[in-house]
Amino acid sequence: MPRLKSPDDLYELREKLKQERDQRHTCVTICSGTGCIACRSQDVVAEFEREMAEKGLEDKVALRRTGCYGLCERGPIVVILPERICYLGTKAEDVSEIVSETLVKGRHVDRLLYEDVETGQRIVRLDDIPFYRKQERLLLEANSLVDPKRIEDYIAIGGYSALAKVLLEMNAEAVIEEIEKAGLRGRGGGGFPVGSKWRTTRDVPSDPKYIIVNADEGDPGAYMDRSILEGNPHSVLEGLIIGAFAIGSQKGYVYVRQEYPLAVENTEIAIKQLEEYGLIGKDILGSGFSFTVDIQRGAGAFVSGESSALMSAIEGKVGEPRLKYVHTAVKGLWDKPTCLNNVETFANVPLIINNGSDWYGRIGSDNSKGTKIFSLVGKVNNTGLVEIPMGMSLREIVYDIGGGIPNGKKFKAVQTGGPSGGVLPEGMLDIPVDFDRLEKVGSMMGSGGMIVMDEDTCMVDTARYYTDFLAHESCGKCVPCREGLRQMLRILDNITSGKGREGDIELLEELSEFLQEAAFCALGSTAPNPVLSTIAHFRDEYDAHIRDKRCPSGVCKDLIAYQIDAEACIGCGTCARNCPVDAISEVEGENTVYEIDQGKCIKCGNCIDVCPPKVEAVVKISSSVLLESA
Amino acid sequence: MYLDEKGAAGAKTADVLVIDDEESMREGCHQTLEADGYRATTAQDGRRGLELIETMHPKVVIVDLKMPGITGMEVLAEISKIDPTIVSIVITGYGSVESAVESMKIGAFDYMTKPFGPERLLESVKRGMNLNEERKAAAQPSISPEAGEAVEGPALDQQTVALKSLELLGQYYSLGLDKRDFLDELVNLETEARFHAETLGWIKEREKILREVLQNLRVVDEVIAQYEYEKSAVLQVMLEVQRRLNWLPRHALKWISRRLKVSLGRLYSIATFYEALSLEPSGAYLVEVCTGTACHVRGAPQLNATVSALLGIQPGQTDSNMLFTLKNVHCLGCCALAPVMKIGEQYYSNPTMKKLEGIFDSLKREKQDYAKVEVA
Repeated sequence: MPRLKSPDDLYELREKLKQERDQRHTCVTICSGTGCIACRSQDVVAEFEREMAEKGLEDKVALRRTGCYGLCERGPIVVILPERICYLGTKAEDVSEIVSETLVKGRHVDRLLYEDVETGQRIVRLDDIPFYRKQERLLLEANSLVDPKRIEDYIAIGGYSALAKVLLEMNAEAVIEEIEKAGLRGRGGGGFPVGSKWRTTRDVPSDPKYIIVNADEGDPGAYMDRSILEGNPHSVLEGLIIGAFAIGSQKGYVYVRQEYPLAVENTEIAIKQLEEYGLIGKDILGSGFSFTVDIQRGAGAFVSGESSALMSAIEGKVGEPRLKYVHTAVKGLWDKPTCLNNVETFANVPLIINNGSDWYGRIGSDNSKGTKIFSLVGKVNNTGLVEIPMGMSLREIVYDIGGGIPNGKKFKAVQTGGPSGGVLPEGMLDIPVDFDRLEKVGSMMGSGGMIVMDEDTCMVDTARYYTDFLAHESCGKCVPCREGLRQMLRILDNITSGKGREGDIELLEELSEFLQEAAFCALGSTAPNPVLSTIAHFRDEYDAHIRDKRCPSGVCKDLIAYQIDAEACIGCGTCARNCPVDAISEVEGENTVYEIDQGKCIKCGNCIDVCPPKVEAVVKISSSVLLESA
Repeated sequence: MYLDEKGAAGAKTADVLVIDDEESMREGCHQTLEADGYRATTAQDGRRGLELIETMHPKVVIVDLKMPGITGMEVLAEISKIDPTIVSIVITGYGSVESAVESMKIGAFDYMTKPFGPERLLESVKRGMNLNEERKAAAQPSISPEAGEAVEGPALDQQTVALKSLELLGQYYSLGLDKRDFLDELVNLETEARFHAETLGWIKEREKILREVLQNLRVVDEVIAQYEYEKSAVLQVMLEVQRRLNWLPRHALKWISRRLKVSLGRLYSIATFYEALSLEPSGAYLVEVCTGTACHVRGAPQLNATVSALLGIQPGQTDSNMLFTLKNVHCLGCCALAPVMKIGEQYYSNPTMKKLEGIFDSLKREKQDYAKVEVA
């Protein structure tokens, strides 16, 4: 492929690619994000290839493997462009019908369309599905337009024109000014103004300077960065090169979790293609600016997402944070000025350059400009990735986009900000989601995990869960974090297993304060948030565990038991066959009924899941009831 | 009547018949053989021995060469007439290699010099039983004559080899060894030969392991070259070695340490810090159960309990067949499909207990089939 020596070369190539794309007006796009691949979207792709060859459609219809469409739970997703007909849960055996009906005759396959839960109506276009209607997909939209493994797709939709503009028409100062004016804030959690970070790094009179993409997305329950890197790595890399130009760096790193093999693969391919086109390397587009990028795989340590720890990891050391009395922007990687931004942050940069800071400033709320991608997951009907302008209320996200809580259950809380964040109860559903207001109510934006919890989620267990996670991930360098979290976990373990004592809540609060004041890095100082916010909003649940030895949501294993109601049991034995530890056996007597050996039961809940819906003989009870009856 | 005949009364058949005039010998052999699960019977002289051979058709006959009446040699000659599939082993008391050679020439399969221990007896009988089976199979009318020959081939070879080596031994000792020390020397030599064989086996094993170690080191070298001998790439090197070897054996770490000039201590501090690096070998299949928040609220603890119960191992453990390693991971980034389990590159969304059973069974079968192919 030709090395692009000037912006004109790039524009010429774009025109050529666009023409090629226009020749095949219709395009079948098949989501090949990790979620859809898990639902066997590769089989669907293969079947389309076969069917289309058989019907001789290859010259008329294009086929594209794209990145994540967002509605992951309903995958594999097939969207036919330009009409944007959206088929959900498509299986390989549906393909021949799609080809003969939609592609040949122009009719819809109704059963694969989205069905509105309330009206029962079928929705044809992707954009009309409630999940997408309220979203503003500035970043994710491109996922449907490109095959992440083909740089040509990205160039065809205007990719790297922001880079060309920056390199040839702007100077570094102008780029930083534009980013500052746009009000772009870091999407990794902290919400630090990007422009000012870039300026600080640029102004340090020391060379070389480094720039890093933080793709060590460690927050459990969040996968925005994964989807961007998998679905459109070039948008991130373009932002990275622009950032490098702005701060005056010639060497960049992409630090990706090794748990995301597809993201690693697609980024590797993207970098190779950039080298081939000369969009990284020496004298990019004839501008005189040179830049190279390396991939570094993260080895699975949550704390390594912290900037100074991540830099230690790149240096090949144990990824522990260090005191930042000198900021990493001044002394970072190899003690040189280093700028580190999150994946989503970099992906926003080309948008701002292309459309201008004024345009960008109109999106979002006062101090939180632009959109934010959330992974809307947990107990919600439409789970997946959503991109919304900041300032939208939680209620709109959970109910209008997410479609509310499944199975008619009651909403309990939304957790944002991962292990550093907190829970927001029903009374807070109307607060607008942006950096400052979430922090004001004891949570935080975080990187974008948004976990919806219903009445069946125990809040004490949730606090225990996060504390367990953090105690495990604490690097152990500072005492408050290492020992404090361990003690908090022990107390929470006691409470959830019915051994809680009066005064435990106060002790938790005291330890929390200690951590907030004394921990070395943000992992430790924000670690009490899940505990403090659950205590603040759901103190009654703590009390029930401590005083009554009861888990109101029926989650904490030591406080519940499964029982079979002999009256209701029809003796079908399904539960016994589905018990992994053979704890269920027939009771001798006139009618066949089953009973659970409480000594053997591991409380996996399989029996309650498989008991036929009309029978519902297996019941979850409080274990204290069991003790009393025995 | 032969009142001291062990196991003969009532029984119709026997695996092993011991013919010896010495009662303690008969008794000792009988007990050893029965304890090891053989049906054994005894006879105190050659005549009775031959009678029992005709009626009970033993598979292996152990016969003392020096007996009053019909001699061991005569019994041997008779045996091959009655049933050529019977394997005979001779006992020689005052050891003359010449008589052992003679006995093998007329069909004995092995010889034991008195005194001999139970291991020696059982080993010889076991080999004899195997040979008997081979002989019987060969005696069966086979579909193709070639197949029959093929079965008999190794048996004959084995015997010829034993015979030849005995002759050689005889020659060696006849070169001028004192006749009195002959027996002791023979026993010594046998012990030495056995030790030598074991050493050879061990050397072979060592060779195999050394080859594996070398192969590992070569992998390390490849990876280090890929990262251009860059010291700072040590974590990436370790990750890549982990990916290719499935774990970080000590020799690999030592090699990395030497090649990159990074202290072994630092390598261990890195290896124990990062979740993705393992200092223990894992099973053929890595079963990862996601414990991310989305999975947690949608039933990851229940999935974990079920998987753990089905595999019989706790998270972090590997089963005894080195087939499955169960691991809890913090977030696989597949939150919309929660709760998620991952095996290799395959993700499973909320699998039921029956589905899990099916998955594990088919993986077990796959591995067995693979092992069969490897052996073949």
